[in-house]
Amino acid sequence: MIGQQIFNGLTLGMCYALLAVGYSLVFGILRLVNFSHGSIYAFGAHAALLFVSLKFGIVPAILLSLLLTGVLGIVIDKTALEPLRKKNSIGIASLITTIGISNIIQNLLTVYFGSEKKAFPALFDFGTITVGGIQITWTQIFICIISFALMLLLVLLVKKTKVGLAMRGCEQNAKAASLMGVNVNFVISFTFFIGGVSAAIAGTLISGYYQIVYPTMGYMAGLKAFAAAVLGGIGSIPGALTGGLLVGVSESMAATFLGSTYRDCMAFVILIIVLIVRPNGLFGKKGITKV
Amino acid sequence: MKKMKKIAGLVLATILAVSVVGCGDKSASTSDESNGGGKDTLKIAVAGPMTGDNAEYGIGFTNAATLMAKEWNEKGGVLGKQIEIVQYDDKNSSEEAATIAQKIAGEGNIAGVIGHFASGVCLTAAPIYQENKIIEISPSASHPDYNVVGDFIFRNNTVISAEAAASIEIATKDLGKKNIGIISIKTDWGTNTSQIIKELVEKLGDDSIKIVAHEEVVEGSDDYSPAITKLNQAGADVVICAGMYNLVAPVAKQYKQINPDIAVVGFSNAYSEQLISLGGDAVEGVCFPVIFFSESEEEHIKSYVEKYEAEYGSKPSALTSQAYDSVGMLLEAIEKAGATDSQAVRDALAELSYTGVTGDTKFDEEGNVDKQFVKVVIKDGKFVKMN
Repeated sequence: MIGQQIFNGLTLGMCYALLAVGYSLVFGILRLVNFSHGSIYAFGAHAALLFVSLKFGIVPAILLSLLLTGVLGIVIDKTALEPLRKKNSIGIASLITTIGISNIIQNLLTVYFGSEKKAFPALFDFGTITVGGIQITWTQIFICIISFALMLLLVLLVKKTKVGLAMRGCEQNAKAASLMGVNVNFVISFTFFIGGVSAAIAGTLISGYYQIVYPTMGYMAGLKAFAAAVLGGIGSIPGALTGGLLVGVSESMAATFLGSTYRDCMAFVILIIVLIVRPNGLFGKKGITKV
Repeated sequence: MKKMKKIAGLVLATILAVSVVGCGDKSASTSDESNGGGKDTLKIAVAGPMTGDNAEYGIGFTNAATLMAKEWNEKGGVLGKQIEIVQYDDKNSSEEAATIAQKIAGEGNIAGVIGHFASGVCLTAAPIYQENKIIEISPSASHPDYNVVGDFIFRNNTVISAEAAASIEIATKDLGKKNIGIISIKTDWGTNTSQIIKELVEKLGDDSIKIVAHEEVVEGSDDYSPAITKLNQAGADVVICAGMYNLVAPVAKQYKQINPDIAVVGFSNAYSEQLISLGGDAVEGVCFPVIFFSESEEEHIKSYVEKYEAEYGSKPSALTSQAYDSVGMLLEAIEKAGATDSQAVRDALAELSYTGVTGDTKFDEEGNVDKQFVKVVIKDGKFVKMN
C-alpha cells in the first residue's frame, strides 16, 4: 500500500511541480509572487473544456487552449503589472494586484461557465498496469512523462537559448540587461507567456486525470504549488520539481497515516517549516530579498 | 507601446462591459419572476446555495418553488394574494445562513422559509427562525438534531437513519455484499451519517457483514485516491458514499480504475442529473434509495416532471421535488389557517396531510416525515428502478 500511495503522491507532485515552475519563472525575473497563477491554471482547464466541446478534436483543442492561456498571461502583465512597474511602485502593490486579478478571472469563469463541477474528457485512458503490486494507470504515467519532459524543455530553454540568456540576464540585473540591448519588456512578456502555457498544461493534465473542472479549482492547487516553489527554492526549476514531488508525496503519506482530512494542511506545514529553517529553500540562492 | 496599452485597455473594458451585461441579464430574470411586488403579495423565502459548489441544489429549490408559486398564482393565489418567491444565497455556509436568517426575520413580512440545504447550515439558521416564530421547512436536512430546535422547524425529508438503513439494505441484500467500506465527507452531516451506518450494521447482528474501513475526506477535494487505496487494501467489496454527487462521481471513477468490480451505494442527495454527466461510464451500477423518482409512471408525477422539464430544460432531482412539495404544503397550510399569522399557519401545517409528488406527507410531533423509498440504479446512462 505504501508503494501505491507514494506513486499516487508522485503523480500529484508532478502537477504541483508544473504549477510551481510558473511561480518560479515569474519570481526569478520580477521578484514578484504571481498569485493569479492558480486562476490562470483554472482558466487553462476551462479553455480546454470549451474548445473540446466545440469539437475541434482533442489535440488541437488543447493546443489552442495553451496558446490562449499564454496570451492571457501576457495580457495580465501588460494591463495590470507593466503600468505599476513604469511608475516604480513598491513590490507589494504588484503582489496585491495579482490577487485581484486572480479574483477577476475566477469570477468571470463563474459567470460564463457556472460554478458547478463539470465533466472533462479523460486523457490517455488506456487502462491500468500492475508493477510489483502497484496499480498504475496510463494517465498517471503520461502525467509524469509529460511534466518531466516539459520541465527538461524549460531548463534547456533557460540555459541554452538566446531568449533564455536574456531571461537570465534580466534575472541578475534588469537595468544592465537593458543597456546590453535586451528588450526587457519582451522578456517579461515571454516569461508570462511560458508561465501561462505551463499552467494550462498542468490544468489540462489534472482535469484529464480527475475529469472534473470548476472555477475555484486553482485556489488550493495554486497555494500548494506556491508552497512547493518555496520549498524547492523559488526561482529555480529543479527546485520546483523537487518541491512539487515532496509536497505531493507528503500529502499522500499524510492521507495514509493521519487520515484524508489532514492532507490539505501538509503543504502549509511544509511552507512554515521551510520559512523557519531554510528560508531560501532547497535549491535557492542566498541573499535575495523577498516580498 | 502607447497603442498597445490602448488596445489592451479596450479589450479589458469590453470584457468588463460584457460581464456586467451578463450579470444584468441574470438579475433581470429573477426580478421578472417576482411579479413586481406590491401590497397584495405573499412572500416566501427560498434560502440555499445559489452559487458555489452546491449551486445545483439551491437553484433547484428556487425553480421548484417558482413553479409551485406559478401554479397557485394561476389559480388566483392564496387568500387572494399573489405569491412571490424571494431568493437568498447562503453559499452553503453557516456564516452566510445566520446573516440571511437575521435578514429574513428583519423583513417581517415573509410567510415562511424553504431551505436551507446542508444540515449543518440549517442547524445554524434554525434557532434564529424559531426565536422569531418564522416557519422553516428544509427539503433536504436529514441530521437528527435539526428539528429538535423548535416547533416552527420542519423538514420534508426523512431523518438520515431511515435512509441509511435503506442504503445498507441495498448494499447487503440487493447486491449481496459483505465487506462494507464507508467514505464520508467531513461535515457535521457526513460524520453523523457514517456513525449511524456503523451502528445500524452492528445492529444487523450478522457476523459475516462488517465495516472493513471508514475514510473521511474533505468535501470538494478532487483526489480521493489515498482514501480509495486504503479502502481497497482493507478488502471492501461495496463502498457507501456519504456525500453529494460531487463525491460519488469522482469516487466511482477513481475506485473503478483500481478495482473495476467495486459496487457503489449512495444517498438520495446524490440523485441528480449532474451525477451522470460528471461520472459518465464510471457511475454505471451506482445505486441509492430515493423518495422521488422522476421516471415514475404515476400520473401526477409525470405531469409535474413534464412541466418542470418544459420550464427549466432538465429533470427535477429528488430534493428539488421535496422543495416543490414543501412550498405546496406551506401554501395549503396558509389557506387552511385563513391567515398569514405564523402561529396559526404552524398549527395548520402540523395537522396537514398532503399528497404531493414525493408521496403522502404528514409531519409527526417533532416535524419529521416518514416516506417510502424507491431503490434506483444507474443503467446505460439513465436512472432506472431496481428490481
